[in-house]
Amino acid sequence: MSKQLKDLVLELFTENDLEQYGLAVSEADGLLRLAGTVPTWELVVRAGQLAGSLPGVRSVVNEIGATSVEPAPYKAPPGDPSVIGTADIVIIGAGVVGTAIARELARYKLDIVLVEKDSDVGCGASRANNGMVHSGIVQEPNSLRSKLNVRGNAMFEELCRELDVPFKRCGLIGLVFKEEELILLDLVKARAEADGIPVEVISRERALAMEPALSPETKGAFLAPSTAMTSPYKLTIAYAENAVTNGVRLFLNTEVTAMEEKDGRVCKVITSRGSFNTRFLINAAGIYADRIAAMTGEPEFTLHPRKGELLIFDREKTNDHAAMATGLLAIGLDPHTKGGGTMFTMDGNPEWGPTAQETADREDTAVTAAGINRIIEKFNPLLPGYDPNQSLINFFAGIRAATYTEDFHIAPSSRLKGLINVAGIQSPGLVAAPAIAAMVLDLLRQEGLNMDEKEQYEPRRFAPARFKELPVDEQNSLIRSNPAYGHIICRCEQVTEAEITAALHRPVPALTLDAVKRRTRAGMGRCQGSFCLPRVLLIMSRELGIPLAQLTKSGLGSPLFSRQTKEAPPYAKEDWFHAR
Amino acid sequence: MKSTKTITCINCPLGCTVTVSPGLDGLSVSGNECKHGETYALQEYRAPQRVLTGTVRIEGAFLPRLPVKSEAPLAKELLPLAARELDRISIRAPVSCGTVIASNLAGSGINLIATRDLD
Amino acid sequence: MPGEIVVIGGGPAGLAAAAAASDAGCRQVLLIERDRELGGILNQCVHDGFGNLIFGGSMTGPEYAHRFIREVRQRPAIAVLTGTMVLSLARDRRLTYVNRDGVREIQPGAVILAMGCRERSRFQAFIPGYRPAGVYTAGTAQRLINMEGVMPGENAVILGSGDVGLIMARRLTLEGANVLGVFEIAPRPGGLTRNVVQCLDDFQIPLFLEHTVTFIHGKKRLTGVSVAPLDRAGKPDLTRERFIACDTLILSVGLIPENELSRQAGLILDPVSRGPVVDQEMSCSVPGIYAGGNVVHVHDLVDYVSHTARLAGRGAQRFLEGRTPAGRVIMQAGENVSYIIPQSITLPVSETVDLYLRVREARRSVHLKITHQGNVLKQKIERIVRPPEMIHLALEPALLTGLSDGHTVSITVSGGEPA
Repeated sequence: MSKQLKDLVLELFTENDLEQYGLAVSEADGLLRLAGTVPTWELVVRAGQLAGSLPGVRSVVNEIGATSVEPAPYKAPPGDPSVIGTADIVIIGAGVVGTAIARELARYKLDIVLVEKDSDVGCGASRANNGMVHSGIVQEPNSLRSKLNVRGNAMFEELCRELDVPFKRCGLIGLVFKEEELILLDLVKARAEADGIPVEVISRERALAMEPALSPETKGAFLAPSTAMTSPYKLTIAYAENAVTNGVRLFLNTEVTAMEEKDGRVCKVITSRGSFNTRFLINAAGIYADRIAAMTGEPEFTLHPRKGELLIFDREKTNDHAAMATGLLAIGLDPHTKGGGTMFTMDGNPEWGPTAQETADREDTAVTAAGINRIIEKFNPLLPGYDPNQSLINFFAGIRAATYTEDFHIAPSSRLKGLINVAGIQSPGLVAAPAIAAMVLDLLRQEGLNMDEKEQYEPRRFAPARFKELPVDEQNSLIRSNPAYGHIICRCEQVTEAEITAALHRPVPALTLDAVKRRTRAGMGRCQGSFCLPRVLLIMSRELGIPLAQLTKSGLGSPLFSRQTKEAPPYAKEDWFHAR
Repeated sequence: MKSTKTITCINCPLGCTVTVSPGLDGLSVSGNECKHGETYALQEYRAPQRVLTGTVRIEGAFLPRLPVKSEAPLAKELLPLAARELDRISIRAPVSCGTVIASNLAGSGINLIATRDLD
Repeated sequence: MPGEIVVIGGGPAGLAAAAAASDAGCRQVLLIERDRELGGILNQCVHDGFGNLIFGGSMTGPEYAHRFIREVRQRPAIAVLTGTMVLSLARDRRLTYVNRDGVREIQPGAVILAMGCRERSRFQAFIPGYRPAGVYTAGTAQRLINMEGVMPGENAVILGSGDVGLIMARRLTLEGANVLGVFEIAPRPGGLTRNVVQCLDDFQIPLFLEHTVTFIHGKKRLTGVSVAPLDRAGKPDLTRERFIACDTLILSVGLIPENELSRQAGLILDPVSRGPVVDQEMSCSVPGIYAGGNVVHVHDLVDYVSHTARLAGRGAQRFLEGRTPAGRVIMQAGENVSYIIPQSITLPVSETVDLYLRVREARRSVHLKITHQGNVLKQKIERIVRPPEMIHLALEPALLTGLSDGHTVSITVSGGEPA
């Protein structure tokens, strides 16, 4: 059996012209290990995906190098072995998955530590995705992705209500432009039904009646009514705030550098800011989860970063844009996304994308000209009356943490007891997050973690007041209680001074300009902060007691200023920002 | 001995490229389309001057910097030196527009004045 | 209040509009400013070059503001609300504003829009790459340096040679930073000649025409930009792309009239000037709503801002006194004219009409002609016309006596040679 799997991989390599590189393949218990050198990164990914596509493969460790790619030297920061605390469980990574797990664990009498290497929660894929709460259609049947997607979708509305996070069950329209593609609609429906997902095939006329801006070239469509939208970073912040309120200790700017074991079980995790004694460790480290897993001494899987670029358009210019739903091109154009689409963010901005681009760099969040063009070329035909060039106000990219089996990898480490890997959480990770958390709790029970419910647990979290969205009488009562609600700081999004101040003093305080922006929308409007940036920074400086010149955009390494005027430059001009 | 210089006239959108060259009987000016160009080019050739504008530190005001300018144009080559002099000045609020902040900027004999009220 | 004029915005336009409305006889003018003080963008423009046309001498931005603020303060009819933001404006002039005392709704007899303009962002200019710290629009950088006293960085590249970009090149240099170059997508600088000479040439800062920034590098803080010259088709020639290490990118890639309230009030906008269409008294398409300054179109000189805002102030008061239009003449932008302000002239005309226009392309020795049905109303030879520099023309009432409702007046800038 084992030998067979290895031979199958080699056969696949031969069929795909990869045998010339003499790649080494080994296998043990369904874990495939690949090594060797190929000319390009595309071939590295290709080899990994071929291996991962075989049935019976549990995971792929892909150590093939590409000559065209400078291997990014992994610089683990120096760890600090001095023990600064003890915890029943340490969670690595405060993205949507790590915070969801933290919040669920906080129901129990446990001492929980959540560590995050960045300056805020949700700084990876959790903030840079389209916010879609997928229905679960077009997921690989019987995959973990599919199961947790459907389960998560059913939990999501109640979750958003509890955490006071925006949620809209907008549904999704998928359409085809060719007569011969009409059969795809029936296939989608049949597959969805097998997974218990409601899907309806609708006529061209009904689709156009629902979405008058849709292209008249539409030949037919399906409607997936359970698709919804949320704000991914607001959900992550809400999870984290609720977790902290219920006793979770959150450590930001804290990077895990190593772990220690005793008798085959984890006993200590070392970070850049000190060590924690713990018997349970959750690896929810996003795009770095394979590196964390490998800190046991043996790699268990390899992640390959896949970039997704998204465009955001001006809220005012929504004429000729689909009023509600997502568009979907014929499946098959981008094999690893569900095709992306056109949608609205929860704040009412049209949003197009994402792309799907393999990249060797785990932090390659650059948006390329090619990516922008690709999105416009792909999605403008859905809404031919919409002019994206006149209304673009922002773009960004996120990195999907894909495994080579392309499924979630949620399992106890085969190497070290007490460590649970929660990895490969690409789309639909956002919608699956509550189901992933539930699954991880089950795994922890099986692994012997005692979970007694607390008497006092507060499942509800309340979002801070949003002045702009309130009726006038409530606006006035807010201003009476705090006149700073009457002081508009961000003109585009009408964000008040009081809202910014509040964001700096929440259970998970905003410490950077970007963190304030995500919580309040200051700087997210059409002027992109050119008006409010100095004003927001002055409030931050005053409230946080940090001199203006020392504030950052997104934490360490991102100073906004080099010095005060009238002062000599603090470092040689060439490298002042590296010196920090 | 000064050499030939080309000077872009700033008096109007034409932006004439004016050439000033020393000759036996004084300076010759060419390339300008009007008299203003000649006057400007000769001034620029002989002794270019600029008003220095900038800011100085101010204490006790709602802003940390006070806008200032040289009361009259300075010799152009003094600008960098004068700018560094501004770095070393710090005054206390309140200040009103036109107040002399410093005198003899970069040894020019020209005053530095505040260009706004600030308290 | 039916006799009240509300001016939205306390920058150069709003100050001049309020003073003019008061001088025209309005006894109740409310000037609303969102910042804590009057003066608007002038407060951060510490450089000189303002007021040559109005005051006959060069002054700095704060000094220019100071003059107008004094004028406003001296007029008892004008009440000022600072720290106050107008949240909405309806067609019937009902507007809501908010400040520390609460949200209020009022319905004045006339409204003057004087909100100015805003800067185009890096995204609107479609500049790809990362989103690090160190990328600032020129106006934001100007405020940070001149008012808040902080330096955006030490080694700067500037994209766009508009006046604000040029001014910032000099400011950064005088504050001790290196400006590595100014890159301009057009074949000619976007700003005034004076600024090219005194902000770049004086400091040996190179200007690269027909170049653009093609990529922003740096995951946390800017580490550099890629730049490339344009090819014949006007697209970046990526075969000649090069990397410039820098920690700061200053963007001066265009200004757009602030249109939020104009749109809410249902004003007709001019797709070229990108502000509301106006007549010679700066009346917008909705009766009782007037506009002045950069909210109408982006001016090159503040003196013109003040001038058009004064027209708006007078016009608004005339509206309150009961103006009876007797027809409308359409101004048509002909050969080599990009747009004309005002877009129409309301009849009858009793005072000289000020026309402002911008050309599409720079030319020398051109023939500027104002015609109606083939008859030349006025003509003029201009030695040079350039898109960055507005052309001002005065049309005396006597020239317009033959016009009646529905007529069209055409303006052309013809002949000459490329400049």
